Formats: sequence, C-alpha cells, structure tokens
Amino acid sequence: MSGIGLHKKLEENTGLLIFGILFVSSIGGLAQVMPSLFQESLRTATENTTVYSPLEQMGRDIYMREGCSLCHSQQIRPLLAEVERYGPYSRAGEFVYDRPFLWGSKRTGPDLHRVGGKYSDEWHRLHLINPRDVVPKSIMPAYPWLAEREANANGDIGRRLAALQKLGHPYDAEDIATADAALEGKTELDAVVAYLQKLGTAYGPGDKP
Amino acid sequence: MLLWLFFKPAKAFDVLSNARPTANAVFFGLVVWLVAIPPVLAYIGGSNFGWRLGADEPLFLAQDVLVKISIGYFMALLFGFVSSAVIAKWMAATYGARLSLGIHYALMTIVGAPLVVGSIIHLYPHVFINIMVLVPALIWSMYLLYKGLPIVLRISPERGMLMASSLIAYLLVAAVSLLGVTVALWGRGFGPAVGI
Amino acid sequence: MSAKNENPKSEFYHDRVVTALVMLAIVWAVLGMAAGVYVAAELVWPTLDFGEPWLSFGRLRTVHTNVVIFGFGVSALMGTAFYSVQRTCHVPLFLPRLAWFVCIAWQIILLLGGLSLLAGITSGKEYAELEWPFDIAIALVWVCFGIIFFGTIAQRKIKPIYVSNWFYGGLIIVITMIHVVNSLAMPATLFKSYSLFAGAQDAILQWWYGHNAVGFLLTGGFLGMMYYFLPKQAERPIWSYRLSIIAFWAFTYSYIWAGPHHLHYSAIPEWVQSLAVVMSLILLAPSWATMINGIMTVSGAWQKLRTDPALKFIVLSLAFYGLATFEGPMMAIKSVNVVSHFTDWTIGHVHSGALGWNALITFGTFYFLVPRLVGRELYSVRLANIHFWLALAGTMLYVLAMWGAGVSQGLLWLSLDEFGELRYSFRDIMASMPPYYLLRLVAGLIFLSGAILMTFNLFKTISGARTIQVRPPAVRGAGASV
Repeated sequence: MSGIGLHKKLEENTGLLIFGILFVSSIGGLAQVMPSLFQESLRTATENTTVYSPLEQMGRDIYMREGCSLCHSQQIRPLLAEVERYGPYSRAGEFVYDRPFLWGSKRTGPDLHRVGGKYSDEWHRLHLINPRDVVPKSIMPAYPWLAEREANANGDIGRRLAALQKLGHPYDAEDIATADAALEGKTELDAVVAYLQKLGTAYGPGDKP
Repeated sequence: MLLWLFFKPAKAFDVLSNARPTANAVFFGLVVWLVAIPPVLAYIGGSNFGWRLGADEPLFLAQDVLVKISIGYFMALLFGFVSSAVIAKWMAATYGARLSLGIHYALMTIVGAPLVVGSIIHLYPHVFINIMVLVPALIWSMYLLYKGLPIVLRISPERGMLMASSLIAYLLVAAVSLLGVTVALWGRGFGPAVGI
Repeated sequence: MSAKNENPKSEFYHDRVVTALVMLAIVWAVLGMAAGVYVAAELVWPTLDFGEPWLSFGRLRTVHTNVVIFGFGVSALMGTAFYSVQRTCHVPLFLPRLAWFVCIAWQIILLLGGLSLLAGITSGKEYAELEWPFDIAIALVWVCFGIIFFGTIAQRKIKPIYVSNWFYGGLIIVITMIHVVNSLAMPATLFKSYSLFAGAQDAILQWWYGHNAVGFLLTGGFLGMMYYFLPKQAERPIWSYRLSIIAFWAFTYSYIWAGPHHLHYSAIPEWVQSLAVVMSLILLAPSWATMINGIMTVSGAWQKLRTDPALKFIVLSLAFYGLATFEGPMMAIKSVNVVSHFTDWTIGHVHSGALGWNALITFGTFYFLVPRLVGRELYSVRLANIHFWLALAGTMLYVLAMWGAGVSQGLLWLSLDEFGELRYSFRDIMASMPPYYLLRLVAGLIFLSGAILMTFNLFKTISGARTIQVRPPAVRGAGASV
C-alpha cells in the first residue's frame, strides 16, 4: 500500500512528522475559522448597539473578574421557549464591543443577555449583596464586597479605554480623559449594575427581528 | 434465589452455572416478565401521582401518551437486555467460554435483579428520589457483574474482569444513546409540549 | 508489580525530572480535586464562601479547572512524555537542563497563575483564563518542551518514530498553535488585557481553542500515554499498527473542525455549526478505532491482571473513553444539543472524560511508573485495589447525577403548558437542583478519597517504607479476585 509507504517517510523523519502534524491540523482552522474572522456581518454593529460607557465597561470587567459568566450565559437561542423566557434571540451584531465574548457555556442561573431594564437598580443592589434577600431559594453566591470598593480604585479606567480604542472601539480622546471623573465616587456595585442594565438593550424598533 | 443474591451472591452464581437453561425457557419464563415490571410500575406511578421532574408541580400526562411512554420503556429495556446478553455471548467466545445464549440471559437476569427490585420506586415518579434508589441498585448490579461473570462462565477472574469492563463500556454507551434518543424524540413532539 | 528487572540503563536515562513531574502531578491532582469538591459544596450551600472573594465560586471554579487540567494533566503528560520518548528512541533526553527548566517554570506558572485567579485576574476566556504575562510564559515553556521532545527524537537510535510520540508531538504542536492564536490580546495594564477579537468571532476562535485543548491535550496527549504504557504493561505489541496510523491522522484532521458544536443555535453562521456537527460525527471513527486497538492489545494479556493493579485502571479508563467519545458526538447533534446545551449534562460529559478517562489512565500509569522510577515495589497493592473501586463508584455516581440534573434542566426549561406558556419558572427549576448537586458532591468526595489513598500509597513507595509483599489472591474470596 502506497499510503503506508508514504507514512514510512513521515515516521522516519522528525521534520516531516512535525510538518505533517502542523499541516493536517491547520486545514480545519484555515477553512472554517479564518473565513469567520473576516466575515463583515459578524463584526458589524446593529443599529442600536453602542459602545460601553466607562462605568459600564468597568462593570463588565468586574463581572468577568467574579466569574459571573461561569453560571450565566448571554446567548438567547432562537427557540420558542427561550424567546418567551428571555426575550428576542441574540444576534451577532449586538456583541461587537464584547472583548472577550461572554456567552458562557452553562446556565446554573438564568441567561442575562436581555436582563437590562427587567429589574430596578435597587433590586440588583439587594440581589448582588445577598441574593437570598430577594430570591429565597437562590444558590448564587453573595457579593457584599462590591458595595465597599471603589470602581476605579486602581485609577486605570483610562488605560482600559485606551486599549479598547486601539482595537477599534469608538472612544475619543475626551472620553478617555474624562473617564476617571465619570467613575468618581462610584462603587463596584454601581458599575456592575450599570453594566447589567445596559445588557441586551440594543434591540429596538429599528432592528429587523 | 433473590435472597441469595443479597446475602450469598457466589452461591446464586454457582447454582446458575450448574443449571443449563435454554434460551427460550429463560426468555419467556423470566426475562419478559421481569422486564415488564418497571414499565408497569412507572405507568401506575405516572397516572396516579404525576411525574415530578424536580420542580414542585407534578406533570400529568394524557393516558395515551403515558401508555406510549411505558411501551417505549419496555421495548428499550428488552432491547438493552437482549443486546447485552447477545454481546456477552459474543465476547465470551473471545475469552474462551462458549456457552448457550440461555446462560447469558440467566446471567443478565441475576445482574439486573437489583435494578428490577429497585424499580419499585417508580410508583412514586419523582426523578431525584428515583435516582437516589436506583444508583445504589446499579452499583450493586455492577458488583454482581464483576463477581458473577467469571463464576458463571467458568473463566479466570482476570479474564472476567476484562470482559465485565468491556460489557460495562457497552452498557454505558447504550444508556447514553437511550438518553439521547429520548431527548431528541421529546424535542420532536413525542411527550409533553416543549418550545423548540 | 515486578520492579525487580530494573532497567540496567536507568543511569543512562534522565529520570529524576520524570520523578519530580510525577510527584508534582499527584500534588496538583489532590489540590485540584479538593477545589472541585469545595465548589461542588458551594452549589449546595451557597454561603460556604464566608464572604471571602477568593473563596467565591466564580474564582475557585476557575482554579479547579486550571489546576486539574494544567497542573495534574500537563505535569503528568510532560513526565510521561520525557519517560517514554527516551525509551522509544533509545537515547537520553536532549538538553536535560532545559527539561528541568520546563518542569520548574511550569510549576511556577501554575502557582502564581493559581494565585492570580484567586485574586480575580482573568482574561475571561474559558480554559484560557490566565492573563497575558502568563500566556507569554506558557508559550515559552511549551516551545522549550517541544525543543527537548523533538530534539530527543532527532537523535534517536531507532529508525521509525513510535506511535506514542506522534500523539505527544501532536499535543505539543497543536496546543502551541491554538494557545498563541487564542491568547492574542491588547494589554491595558500588567494584569488586564482585551481580546483581539470581539463577540461572535471571539466565540468561534475561543471554541476552536477550547475544543482542541480537549482534543489534543485531554484526548490526544493521554492517547500518547496509552500507546506507550498499555503495551508496556501488557508486555505485548500494539494490536494493529496500521489502525493506529489511520486513527492518528484522521483524529488530527477531523478534531479541529468540531469546535463550533459548542455554539449551536447561537449567533454564529449556520454553515459553521452544520460543518461542526458532521465533523463531530466523523470523529467517532478514529476515537473508537483507538479504543479498539487498546482493548485488543490488553485482551491478549489477561494473565497480567492478576498481579497488576495498574492495568485494571487502564482497562476501565478505556471503557469510559468509549463512553465519552460516543457521548460527545451525540451531544453535537442539534436535536440533542438543544436540550443538553447550557445544562449539567455538559458537566457530566466532561467528567466522564476527565475522571473516567484522564484520571484513571494516569492513576494506572503512575501505579506502574512510580515503583520503576524508585526501584521499589508498590507499597500496597490492596490500597490500589480499594482505590480502583472508589474511582469507579465516584465516576459512575458523578455521571449519573449530572445526567439526571442535566436532562431535568433541559426539558423543564423548554416545557410549555397547554396554552403555549412556559410551564416552570427558572427559579423553581434552579431550586430543585441542590439534591443532584449533593449527590455530585458525594461522588466527588468518593473520587477524591481514592486519589488521597493513591497519594499515600505512592509517597510511601517513594519514601522507601517497608514493602508489603503481594499476597496471592484467595480463590473466589470476596473482593480478592478483582
């Protein structure tokens, strides 16, 4: 069999073996992943999708820090029950300012993609400080420390926005210069609540469903 | 026989390995009836108490749906049972034991007995409580398989260990297939309504 | 265990670094599994974090996955790769000092990385959480690992490169590739960076990484372990050499495509999802071909099971490997995935692989390897047999609890009543989960206690405690036969 003959060359030459593995394992990535990275529709914002404000972006970073996305997805599938439960299904254009994406892989708690505007700020505060005060049987951890910490304790919000600006987020010099002031006097709790209230609100009458 | 299983399993297996039952006798005399027990219990439980899938409110299914599910359950158990006996016979040849299908049916009957006894909990079809009862029963069954297989097939314990592990691999795959098929059928409208 | 025929070439090979990696892997195993048990308990009693941020579920769960995969798994893979590559090539390690550097640098990355995760420093990408300074260090260590490994192969005295080395090679090459691409990010501060890719594109890239980390590390890497240690323990050649060639290349080619099955029904292109389904199903063939190759190899060596507890672990690990590699493609089918996605079924699937396959084959390998590395008999075969039963019971209980929880969640979330309204609120469904989580906690405790027993057994072996003679098994006595 010539296939075996060919393989004899591969398995007797270190360089060829390395090249063979690299080549064979790259095909899938090049044919399937690469085209998606250049697909315009996946990185074009929907009409109402806007960049996160400094407070919201800080809230998003804290959401990530506490591992919220391990138990809460942000991806509503186009299924009848799911749309009924959470709202209009998620579209790619709503996530273009999400670095990284936080779709999650597990729903120990409910999906949060359209949680924005569903509850009051006050409900979120009570819920984050102790979930069982508002949902008696909740198994979510409590996050009391969020209320005690300053949102911009390290003073690095400007640098965070600058990094995002370099990646193409439409912040201008003034946004970055005034970022510290925007977070002045805000706690981490304020930031997380601001982020949660922003989530999924891009869906509007201007968007095709 | 049943009492031996719980107190002196080795004895039960010894008795079995000396008896040489025919496939038809075991199948129609024992297997079909034993395998029918869990679906019947599930039917009685389901129609009287409703299914509790975890949430508080029990789910009452229409009679015809319930009958369909029970028949499906019966067929699945029967298939699992017969297929594992046939596969055991096929594997046994590899391990140097050439025995009739009857003895493999009988072996599987003994191994499955704890599960049949445990299925009495189907009378109260609460998923979690059922799991609590059936998991220990399953572990007991697996213990019986490892222990009984070499005695009944008269092969060395080491070969028995290999064969029992191979059988467990088959049973795990069969179980997860059943789970997948059930879920896919449920999603396509067999059973209670789902919004997909 | 027959450690008597100690290899006369043991001076010739560099085995001290192997011993160090194996011991460290054992320590990480216990730590990582203990973290897993703790987070499992937090899902039953959510106040177990005592208001401490670093004990909180969101941080500790990440520590659990990182420590078991990169601490236990990778340390074990590095150790066994260094051990087997020397013996299959008949040469000592290329650049042994670099091997020590790899060993020590990897442990420092894990230690500091683990602490950074507890402090909440994370890039937010699953299974790639460590921030950019760690990512650079990981890439560096991984390249050094490759230099040692392929350098050793290049100097080999035997012409063909043995099959276990292809899998270890695949592990090194593909993990380097996907790690570097997926970690591309714009640093904002020393401990904060933003992914170069956003939204749906980031998702596709992340699961290309995540799925192939499972593919080439947890599956391929450990198949390398199997291809060396299984024939070694069985003292027989691999059943079909040709099958192993076909399976290796088919596996390497098709695994890469399957990642997007983690993103079914999401906002990524339809064709990407469909292609992932097809490739996931194709993947079953090379996965099972390898399992059959392993089982057939050991089938001819059943006599060895009498004296060798290590082989038992490997036999059982192949059974769970068969389950996990069947379950995966099945869950990639859209009509199953629609129910299983986002539920605990996924967690059960991961653990049928992680506990049943990865941990068991590693335990088996360690029971074989440690006595040979230190030139003593295993301290206690009896303890190893008890460990076997604890591992089996723990894995089964874990998988069943998660099947129950996952199928309940999936179906209850989707259930509609006769008016087409949702039948259950999310809160009610969530509130019904703790009993399953309690069962899972018990399963984890059983599995962890087995791992602790192994740690005791192997460290006693290493520290040269009095050797317990292997007792001949009583004929048909309770438990002695298996």
